[in-house]
Amino acid sequence: MEQAPPDPERRLQPAPLEPLGHPDAGLEAVVGEEVEGARDEGSGDGTMTENNFWLKKIEISVSEAEKRTGRNAMNMQETYTAYLIETRSVEHIDGQSVLTDSLWRRYSEFELLRNYLLVYYPHVVVPPLPEKRAEFVWHKLSADNMDPDFVERRRIGLENFLLRVASHPILCRDKIFYLFLTQEGNWKETVNETGFQLKADSRLKALNATFRVKNPDKRFTELKHYSDELQSVISHLLRVRARVADRLYGVYKVHGNYGRVFSEWSAIEKEMGDGLQSAGHHMDVHSVRWFLNRYASSIDDILEDEEHYADQLKEYLFYAEALRAVCRKHELMQYDLEMAAQDLASKKQQCEELATGTVRTFSLKGMTTKLFGQETPEQREARIKVLEEQINEGEQQLKSKNLEGREFVKNAWADIERFKEQKNRDLKEALISYAVMQISMCKKGIQVWTNAKECFSKM
Amino acid sequence: MSGGPPKALPSTGPHSLRDMPHPLAGSSSEEAVGGDSTPSPDLLMARSFGDKDLILPNGGTPVGTSSPASSSSLLNRLQLDDDLDGETRDLFVTVDDPKKHVCTMETYITYRITTKSTRVEFDLPEYSVRRRYQDFDWLRNKLEESQPTHLIPPLPEKFVVKGVVDRFSEEFVETRRKALDKFLKRITDHPVLSFNEHFNVFLTAKDLNAYKKQGMALLTRVGESVKHVTGGYKLRSRPLEFAAIGEYLDMFALKLGTIDRIAQRIIKEEIEYLVELREYGPVYSTWSALEGELAEPLEGVSACIGNCSTALEELTDDMTEDFLPVLREYILYSDSMKSVLKKRDQVQAEYEAKLEAVALRKEDRPKVPADVEKCQDRMECFNADLKADMERWQNNKRQDFRQLLMGMADKNIQYYEKCLMAWESIIPLLQEKQEAKWQVAFTSKFEENVIPWARLTD
Repeated sequence: MEQAPPDPERRLQPAPLEPLGHPDAGLEAVVGEEVEGARDEGSGDGTMTENNFWLKKIEISVSEAEKRTGRNAMNMQETYTAYLIETRSVEHIDGQSVLTDSLWRRYSEFELLRNYLLVYYPHVVVPPLPEKRAEFVWHKLSADNMDPDFVERRRIGLENFLLRVASHPILCRDKIFYLFLTQEGNWKETVNETGFQLKADSRLKALNATFRVKNPDKRFTELKHYSDELQSVISHLLRVRARVADRLYGVYKVHGNYGRVFSEWSAIEKEMGDGLQSAGHHMDVHSVRWFLNRYASSIDDILEDEEHYADQLKEYLFYAEALRAVCRKHELMQYDLEMAAQDLASKKQQCEELATGTVRTFSLKGMTTKLFGQETPEQREARIKVLEEQINEGEQQLKSKNLEGREFVKNAWADIERFKEQKNRDLKEALISYAVMQISMCKKGIQVWTNAKECFSKM
Repeated sequence: MSGGPPKALPSTGPHSLRDMPHPLAGSSSEEAVGGDSTPSPDLLMARSFGDKDLILPNGGTPVGTSSPASSSSLLNRLQLDDDLDGETRDLFVTVDDPKKHVCTMETYITYRITTKSTRVEFDLPEYSVRRRYQDFDWLRNKLEESQPTHLIPPLPEKFVVKGVVDRFSEEFVETRRKALDKFLKRITDHPVLSFNEHFNVFLTAKDLNAYKKQGMALLTRVGESVKHVTGGYKLRSRPLEFAAIGEYLDMFALKLGTIDRIAQRIIKEEIEYLVELREYGPVYSTWSALEGELAEPLEGVSACIGNCSTALEELTDDMTEDFLPVLREYILYSDSMKSVLKKRDQVQAEYEAKLEAVALRKEDRPKVPADVEKCQDRMECFNADLKADMERWQNNKRQDFRQLLMGMADKNIQYYEKCLMAWESIIPLLQEKQEAKWQVAFTSKFEENVIPWARLTD
């Protein structure tokens, strides 16, 4: 499966704009297509068949953020930020892009979209949203949601989210997603009409509940373990990084204090120097002051760049949660499967006992029989018939659950593989850009101190 | 370091330190080999055992490491002043080789003072003696007494000021050694002080304590008389130049104090930054253990941050050991200079008072009485000495600070260069394609379960 990464020009690899009739249809279509894709993989081709599904290239950008006031559900006035989403379609031939859609959305609508995707595509590692509230802040950063820097970083994060969804081979074809980009009014109603909230398994929301699964797929168990550890280590990393940023800020800023005292010192030296032989030698104090002040203020840009790195890490911190959700879904499905199998086995047992007359399993009927006397052969026949029907039904259900489960595992694992490659690529890039930032910082430091040294040499 | 078998430990028993012969002092004459500047056999022997094995007669053990005692390296370590104005130097003094001495009464450090000179005031061309801090203190007091019209360089602080610093730690001893070396070199450079009798004795005497007890002090004429100047005379008007010097010294000390505070603050912030870095780096390692393809890059980043942490530690150590002490030294210097200025004021005041008294006596003798003349003489000598010393001091100060600030800049440059190297060296590691490695070692548990058909090529 070819994965199109969000590239710098915000240009996507092919994504269709053909909306599918029903959200569910999307799921089904995906299932079918995924299987096909898998077979393609097997032939060693490595690319998804493009011809049938990809039509045009589109560009998505979240270009602006605007403060708005409005009335909320309880008719109280509130202030919120709205984001402008612009979609452009790119004509293949001349590469020119045409603005096709432009609308405003607020953060809660993004959340709604994501929740919908989580329900309808449980086998997909759904891209995360940027954080709701500023966390891992160091002292200079504001934790206020209305702070312009926070809003700006959120704007970038939301754009990133849309690009991730749009470049996902499965998610990009979803109608609701398409409407999110194109239909400003009524979109919320449309989403709610899908009834996805009802479809949502409330058990998935209970994060800490454990299910006694006898035969989970080991890979998922380990993956869940991995996602927990990843969450933990990235959180730790972000916390310490924030502290490091704080301290580094302090170091740089204090250097700014030198400038003034050197100036003052130089002034008194000059006064003395007029009568002494060493009059000709004076430190170029203005330059020293300038260099040290520049050094002190350079930290602002440096740390702003680093904040971008932190955001990249944060995305994967939240991605870990999405990974975990897929594992949970598998767990649940496996649990249901095992429960169903257990139930079926028990019914079969009952049936057998009724037929043969031996009582091994406990049943209420059996109990009452013992207490109130044996049932008639007709009654017994009736009961056996009911059980047989139930067993039949149960077997059908089990079969389909089994199939469902296997499909889920296959599809989920395929997406997990795609995700893994994306993660490795993205994080390597993030580390490289972090290293580049550090190199730039070191070079600036060398420059400043070399200049200062030269000024000092003139003493 | 005696020529024969080690002496019995003189520290046993209830003797006070002062009653004992100065540690290792007895051997100094044997080391001063005429004409031949190779060190005594014991000196060589001491080195070959390695510092740790060296046990000195009274139990002294070396502190830290010192370079080999060959004469050529000794010469190399003697700092030759660049700004010589064409003077040829005939006196070289170095302080090195700190050693710890453990006695029943106390534990202390001695330093080796090596002197080379062609001056007639020295009987031999070369001397090597051992002195401890209190000997330096004694010397300084003697110089102040005997040369009150001159600026005497400061000593490093007697007691450890801030923090819980181990006064036998390598860093502390080395910092002190450098300051003591500076102290003696400043005296050496001084055209008057370097000829002082006490200084000579300090550099050459086998038994300094005996000399101290004798209290033989050849005071100069001026010194003798200045010693007896009592205070209490009110100064009429201070000559402009000395007023300017006084004001300048006040401001100078103030500015230095500010610079010292800023420097300390920076070091403090840097140390706190270092603490966080030391936690930051290892987290990447922890992460690396979870991953497959990312394991190496993450581990590389962790190591890189570790290297930067080490570089930062070196920077803060250097600043603490080399930068701060010099600032403090100059603050002490300007303090002692202020008191010399005060003495000068006193001398002038005495002269003025006596002059006035003569005028009031209404004698019509044209000749000024001898003692007033003497006062005037005294004052003018004092002023001349002080002026000359101020000029010298300004020159040296300028050089010292130039070196100090350039050194500070250098250390920062070195720090950044070390970090730059570390980060640049991992870029290729981060950019490396992992295909070939995929089969080899770095698979996490996660990757072990990968379905073959899902394997992607880059």
